[in-house]
This record gives sequence, structure tokens and C-alpha cells, in this order.
Amino acid sequence: MLPELLQGTDAGGFLIIQDSASYSGRDLLKCFINAALNREEAVHVLGFEVSEEELKDGLKGSHVQRLHFHNAYTDPLGWTDQPAFTVHQFCLEELTRLVKQTSHSKPATLVIDSLSWILRHHSPPAVCKTLQQLRKGGAVRAIMGLLHADMHQRGTVGSVCHLATSVITVTPGMKGDEAVAKMTKRSKSGKVVQDEEVFSIRNELTVVVQSKSSQHGPKQADPEEQETDPTANLTFNLRLSDTEREAKEKLALPFVFSKEKKTALLHSSPGSGRILYEPDANDDYDQEDPDDDLDV
Amino acid sequence: MFTELNSILNTSPDSFTQGECVLLSDRHSDASFLIHHFLSLYLRARCRVMFLGLVQSFNHYSAISQRLGVSLTQAKEKGQLVFLEGLKESLSVLIPQEAETGSQAMDFLRDPAVGLKSLYEFVRSSAISSGGGEEEADGAEEWGPAVLLVDDLSVLLSLGVSVESVLDFSHYCRATVCSQLQGNVVMLTRCDGVEEEDDGDDEGLERLLKGLTHQCSLSLHVQGLPTGYCRDIHGQVEVCWRRRQGDGQYTQKKLFQYKVNDKGASFFAPGTSSAVL
Repeated sequence: MLPELLQGTDAGGFLIIQDSASYSGRDLLKCFINAALNREEAVHVLGFEVSEEELKDGLKGSHVQRLHFHNAYTDPLGWTDQPAFTVHQFCLEELTRLVKQTSHSKPATLVIDSLSWILRHHSPPAVCKTLQQLRKGGAVRAIMGLLHADMHQRGTVGSVCHLATSVITVTPGMKGDEAVAKMTKRSKSGKVVQDEEVFSIRNELTVVVQSKSSQHGPKQADPEEQETDPTANLTFNLRLSDTEREAKEKLALPFVFSKEKKTALLHSSPGSGRILYEPDANDDYDQEDPDDDLDV
Repeated sequence: MFTELNSILNTSPDSFTQGECVLLSDRHSDASFLIHHFLSLYLRARCRVMFLGLVQSFNHYSAISQRLGVSLTQAKEKGQLVFLEGLKESLSVLIPQEAETGSQAMDFLRDPAVGLKSLYEFVRSSAISSGGGEEEADGAEEWGPAVLLVDDLSVLLSLGVSVESVLDFSHYCRATVCSQLQGNVVMLTRCDGVEEEDDGDDEGLERLLKGLTHQCSLSLHVQGLPTGYCRDIHGQVEVCWRRRQGDGQYTQKKLFQYKVNDKGASFFAPGTSSAVL
């Protein structure tokens, strides 16, 4: 499903890449940007977290001129005198103006790196409102955003992802450069498709899907594993034939007190001694009255 | 400067990656020995070093650096080192005297809600002052790229500064020092407590650590051994390269064990301590 998502979102689409401190989703975001540029789309990037050089690193070719980087990295809070773009300018009017500055025939794709930066300085409802307005506005065709899921509360992450048409959650994979992507895609008809794939990113910013697996780590055992036969593959024979099994089941074990043994003991065979017992006065020992002098 | 750590990180006083943001962190342990390594490394590399020493006095760092073969007093006199002694400056903020002309760097102590803009201004002015392009007086030595070291960021949270302000401050330092001046930033943050705090993340230290991890390009995380105290091995360091290397190699994480001794620290692969082999 990952290549399908890379091929493009429909108009009004909103893609969110969720990552965490253990694996950065920025490389995957760059793959999406690369794919959009290859499709001859104009891409506007609101760069809060990384500089322009770092974001453009790896993007090659003439289509890079269709990438417009709006620098919100050097001064996002307006601490210097001439900030290029501050986080406080994240609203519908400013963004529309920004995107329309570079006029293109087609509406552009807006990439936000990252949504977490904005969520740290604006309340989640305001951010959601702006994003929804952008989607319906028409100035941008599609929005892609990077979200650091471990930096916010689950409710905030949930609210923002609720607006999205596709959400990709990336986590580190088993081997060095592999990662696991869990994808959820909501189509306009209301159908929701979920998938999980293991992928790796090549140097040219293309994604290679290693396996369409839902395999978890090697630590988790398979749930329905075949019972392995312990008597197989041995150099000696542990199996029983039918007659042997019958004889085994017939055998009376030596110390088991079965009914036959009981009757044999109780009804002693003739010729063996008989025991005659007559109770003696001394044998009548009362625990509660050892001297036998209580008048009860 | 620890030679083994240099080979692990592939750095040396003559060649190191520029524009790097290094995060040192620890959990139930003390990663400050790494700060001394980076301090002596960059001083030996003839960089302009700005050191925000918020938790210890100047003499403390000076004494330890002496054992590593670097003189902080000399570096400060020559203008190579700009040292903000947080403890001393904070005293002048808390007990204001009439004719005080101290820097405004620690002004956030008066009102922590305001944020760390003044501290950032201090960093920016020190970094830019005799960095690139300015015609200095004759005889001023040419220093290499600017380097910022912060020891440490988590203490700011105890002083009342919010996590957002600290993250903004580190972002601005990174934007100025790493991207604009092509220098390096090394920041130390400490946390204690359990790692996986899932929801209701009002554990400021955890959130600060995660935010800084997202920003950095190289992180060294120091922890005690999971099996407990050991006399010969003081703990483990997890080195994590978060950015793709230029030649396409993608080394992600490596784990080492270390032992701190008088003149430095030795690093080795797990299980290969000299006490064991």
C-alpha cells in the first residue's frame, strides 16, 4: 500500500506521517516530496524543524525548482527583527497568500515539517481548524505533514489524525535500515483500508517495500504451532507397537493399592497364621481421661 | 578528550563533522564526563567555544580539564573560550546590586515564564562577535567554527522554565550555531525515572529528552548497567546516529560499556572489559 500512497493523494487529501524519537519519519516525508515533484506538482514546504539545505539534501534533478521552501527554521518565533515566517503566521490567510505568491497553473501540495512544532505553540483546536480550512479552501491540493507522536498527548495526536485521509506510523524495523509502516487510508466513500509493511529507503529517495508482512519480532512465538513429535529423529526407538502398548496398560504397578491386592490381604490364604485379638483393659486408653478417674 | 570515544564517533581535533547537534543524556547516571570530553576536544581543535556552565563553577571544569591536558583559564584569556558561569551570574540576579553590569543572560530567573530569549541573545552575540567576516584587531588569533556546549538543560526545568521554552531555545541555538555558522552544538540533559511514560506526559524531563532527541543528529545516552552496580564497568553508552551518513551508510545504534578513570574514560564493546578478559 505504501507505493500506492506514494503515487499521489486525491484532491483534498491530507497525509500524516507519525514518527517517534526512535525513528525519524523525515526521510519518508522526503520520499513523498520527491514523488510529488516527479509528478510535476508544485510543492510548498513550511520548514520549521530543519534547514533548507538539510531538507533538499538528496533531492536531485531539475524538478527541485518546483520545490518552494518557506523558511520558518531560522526564526520561527520572531526573536529577530525580520523573521521570514513565524509560527504565529500559521493561519488560513497567511498560508493562502504564501502559496499563491508563486503562481502555478495547478494548485500546490503543501508539506508541513513539522506539525509538532505548530502544535507546541498553538492550541490543537486552532491547528485543526486551520488544517480543515486549508483542505476545503482550494488554494492547496493536498497537505502532507510530519507529526512526532511521542511529543504530544494521545488525544491531541488522535484529533489531528482524525482529519487526515491517510496516516502512516513508522517504527524502527528489525534490521538496520528497515522500518515498519502501519498505514490507514480513508477513501471518500468511507471505506477504511489498513496495512502494515516493512520498507527501506534507498539513496535516491525511493521506497523499497521489503515484505508485505505482519510479522512481529522474533520474540513472539507462533500462536498455533504444530506439536513437535519428541520421538521423531532419534537414534533409538521410543515408539510402542500395539501389543507392547496393551501389555503396558495391563501391568499392575507395584505400589498401587488396587482392589485385587486389598482382597488378597484381607482374605488371607489358608495356611498362613490367623491373628486373634481380644481387647485388653490396658489398651482402652482414653485421651481425655488417661487415669480413668473422672466421673463424667 | 577520550581517544576511544573519538574513534567511535569518527572525530578528531583535526577533522570532525560540522553542523552537528549532539545530545548527551543520562538516566539514573551521570553523563557529565562526556561534556568534559567534548570541551577538551573542541578546545584542542582550536574552535571558538561557548560554554554555558549552569550547574558547576568554573573551577570545577578547569580542574578536570587540566587533567585532560587543556587549560580553561588560558583559553579564556586568549579569547577562545567564552564561559557563562551560571551559578555566579544567578547570584547577581537574585541579589541585585547597584553598579551591576552583568550580562542579561540569566534574566530568565526573574521571570521564568518569559522564556530563554535573553540567554539565546547571549549565545548569539558571543558566537557572532568574533566569528566569520569581521575585521578584528591585529594579533587576534583565528579560531575555527563556533561550538556551543550546554551543561545542562534539565536544570532549567527545575528553575521554572517550561519545556517549550527550553525546546525553543535549543532550536534557536541549533539554527544559529549549526546551520548559520556551521558550528556544533553539544547539549546535556538528564532525566530520572522510568522510561516508558505513555500518557499524561507531564513528566517534563521525559518530554524534554524526546524533543531534543528529535532535534539532534547524534545522541549519546548513558545508563547504568541493567544488571546493577559493577566496580569495573561504570555503565553503558548508547550511541545513535540519527542522520544518514553522506556515503549512504546507515549505522543506527551502537552500544558500548565504559569505565571512567582519573585521566579519562575507556570505552569497549559489551563484554570485553579488561577486567573480564
